[in-house]
Amino acid sequence: MEAVLQFSPFLLAGLKVTIALSLVSIMVAVLLGLLGAWAKLSGSRRTRRIAELYTTLVRGVPDLVLMLLLYFGGQMALNRIGNATGLWDYVELDAFTAGFLAIGFIFGSYMTETFRGAFLAIPRGQIEAGIAIGMSGFVLFQRIIWPQLVRYALPSFTNIWLSLMKTTALVSVMGLEDLVYNGYAAGKTTHQPFTFMFVVLIAYLVMTAVSDVGLRWLDRRYSAHLQRA
Amino acid sequence: MSFADLTAALKEISETWSPFDFMLAAKHVDLFLLGLRNTILLLVGSLCLASLLAIPLAAVRAARTPIFNTCVLAYTYLFRGTPLLVQVYMLYYGAAQFAFVRDSFLWTVLREPWWCAFICMILCSGAYITEVFRGAIEAVPRGEIEAAKACGMSEAKLFRRITLPNAFRSALPAYANEVIFSAHATVIASTITIVDILGAAKHFNNKYYLAFDGFIIAAGLYMLIVYAITRGFRFWEGKWHRHLSRVHA
Amino acid sequence: MTVSSNSDANSWGRRIISGDQDLAIRPDNPRKSGLKLQVRDLRKAFGALEVLKGVSLDAYEHDVISILGASGSGKSTFLRCINFLEAPTGGTIKLNDEAIKTWIGPSGNQLPADPKQLQRVRSKLAMVFQNFNLWSHMTVMENVIEGPISVLGVERRQAIANAERLLEKVGLSDRRNYYPALLSGGQQQRAAIARALAMDPEVLLFDEPTSALDPELVGEVLAIIRALAAEGRTMIIVTHEMAFARDASTRVIFFREGQIEEEGPPDQTMTRPASLHFQRFLARSHR
Repeated sequence: MEAVLQFSPFLLAGLKVTIALSLVSIMVAVLLGLLGAWAKLSGSRRTRRIAELYTTLVRGVPDLVLMLLLYFGGQMALNRIGNATGLWDYVELDAFTAGFLAIGFIFGSYMTETFRGAFLAIPRGQIEAGIAIGMSGFVLFQRIIWPQLVRYALPSFTNIWLSLMKTTALVSVMGLEDLVYNGYAAGKTTHQPFTFMFVVLIAYLVMTAVSDVGLRWLDRRYSAHLQRA
Repeated sequence: MSFADLTAALKEISETWSPFDFMLAAKHVDLFLLGLRNTILLLVGSLCLASLLAIPLAAVRAARTPIFNTCVLAYTYLFRGTPLLVQVYMLYYGAAQFAFVRDSFLWTVLREPWWCAFICMILCSGAYITEVFRGAIEAVPRGEIEAAKACGMSEAKLFRRITLPNAFRSALPAYANEVIFSAHATVIASTITIVDILGAAKHFNNKYYLAFDGFIIAAGLYMLIVYAITRGFRFWEGKWHRHLSRVHA
Repeated sequence: MTVSSNSDANSWGRRIISGDQDLAIRPDNPRKSGLKLQVRDLRKAFGALEVLKGVSLDAYEHDVISILGASGSGKSTFLRCINFLEAPTGGTIKLNDEAIKTWIGPSGNQLPADPKQLQRVRSKLAMVFQNFNLWSHMTVMENVIEGPISVLGVERRQAIANAERLLEKVGLSDRRNYYPALLSGGQQQRAAIARALAMDPEVLLFDEPTSALDPELVGEVLAIIRALAAEGRTMIIVTHEMAFARDASTRVIFFREGQIEEEGPPDQTMTRPASLHFQRFLARSHR
């Protein structure tokens, strides 16, 4: 227990990295998800194919493998392109960047399905009512589609966020000093690996519980007017 | 064009043009096959046991049996709310912290990375599958259960003959999803030195100082597994639906 | 127009005549009122299925036009083509003598060539839907002020003041902060009417406004539409309410198989219909 207290700043630093990585990743995922949903719903067959390929790829390949591929392969590809075009010199993809790109990429595909479903859940007539009143595409999206998209996507978003947070643990394998990495290192130093991994476990449990409660509260608030009194 | 020319040409393509060096990889087929074997063993073994574990637990959750329900809920919440990686680290690295574990028979199991990964996979998949089954059991139409009660079926028989078959059917798509996620989760084994598919890829990369060639092969193999799972379940589902429609026809 | 075989008895009431002579001399309102909406030879096909086979219609100021017809006769499609919710395959639409600019798309549909213009035209052609289509994430008040603020650029305070007046008019002042899901169908439709009125439209389009309502709720909605008619609003109403068509509209149009089969003032056409099909239709709906 003393050891845990002694190493608490170290663990907290790791926790910060985990939270930051989760937040940045979910933003990338939401953007990719919107893009993917748009592609899947679009009339063009080619964009639909690309989106299909994207979701199939992510469904077929485990997250860690994709992450490693992006970390090592992406870096090499970047430098080859840089070499060939002369646009940039040697770049190094750090673990954080590779991590949030990979996690965003992976969860963007789940978000694609979420947003696609949510969009289809919006009653078509409400969109027509907006069109009939003369709303432009942007206003229609901002005022009518987006607020309802958020509401219909929220339950599934909650699930995705919870599993995204857990997935960030994998970046420790690439050497990013997140909560798991620091917990493991501290455990090794003090010869108390169980104690430290237990603390890490509890930290994840707390993050899960807090997100769960918070997002469920949001969900209730957003869908309050859906239920008849 | 002689055979030697052909080999040389292939080698040339393999080394410079292909995204990964397939000629080199072909030399290590046995390594990747070993990885494939281990991944499949881990996946199938843990899924079977996890599903068996999940049935009674789901029944307890669905029936809301006091106390037991809370215990099962705590179990599923714990395993679904934390990363599998942390669970595995805790068991594999953590167990050694305690002298009583090291001295007991447990140690013969827990010092093996294979068993640690196996146990964690069972418990973690079990937690997810429990919740899937619970949802399916709760979704069994009330009327069918009442009809069975009206026939005078015992509770146990009702569960076995009516509730379970019905729940299995409706759980199938969600269960298939869980199986795919379990397949993804098996890569955790490679982080504790097990030579699964990803482990084989790492060995391959390290041996030849390659950055990612092995990972591409691994990605391909995993896609194959997921494809097989998807096709398998589609076949299974189709069979059940056909059976259903024949009954109702 | 292919249908010009109506008896002479009511041909004086026709303003739609084949060819281009749109002239309109109405005994009750001669020349005084201006032409608001002009539809010429509107066509719509879904693949090989022709739903509208060239429909023309002029709506003058203070006109209340009821469109009758069996289901599948193309009357709803006609209304939805007027504001391009459905892209027509042919014909022109003019509001206040301004034609909606179009180009022929790859699918053979007429697509709007100038989205800005179409949006402006739409904002003057408010529509009331069969299923209300209130935005479920907004309260009644928010539904009513949304269009004026985000489309017309009206100041919020002014929009609210105007909305309060309109909600008073449709009898929903006490429900202004309710979400649509908490309202009855009749209340939802009245809110939707207020939302349409808030746009201060030139022409109001009603697409079967009472068809989705329980019978006991139809009256409250019809009363409001009647009041709007009495105010002299220009309206086009697709409806199944015969009594309403007879005594609230200035003109009745009977659709059959994607064409106008008969039209004229209601007292004339509905008591002595010239077309056999219209006679049958009226007889059926009286049962």
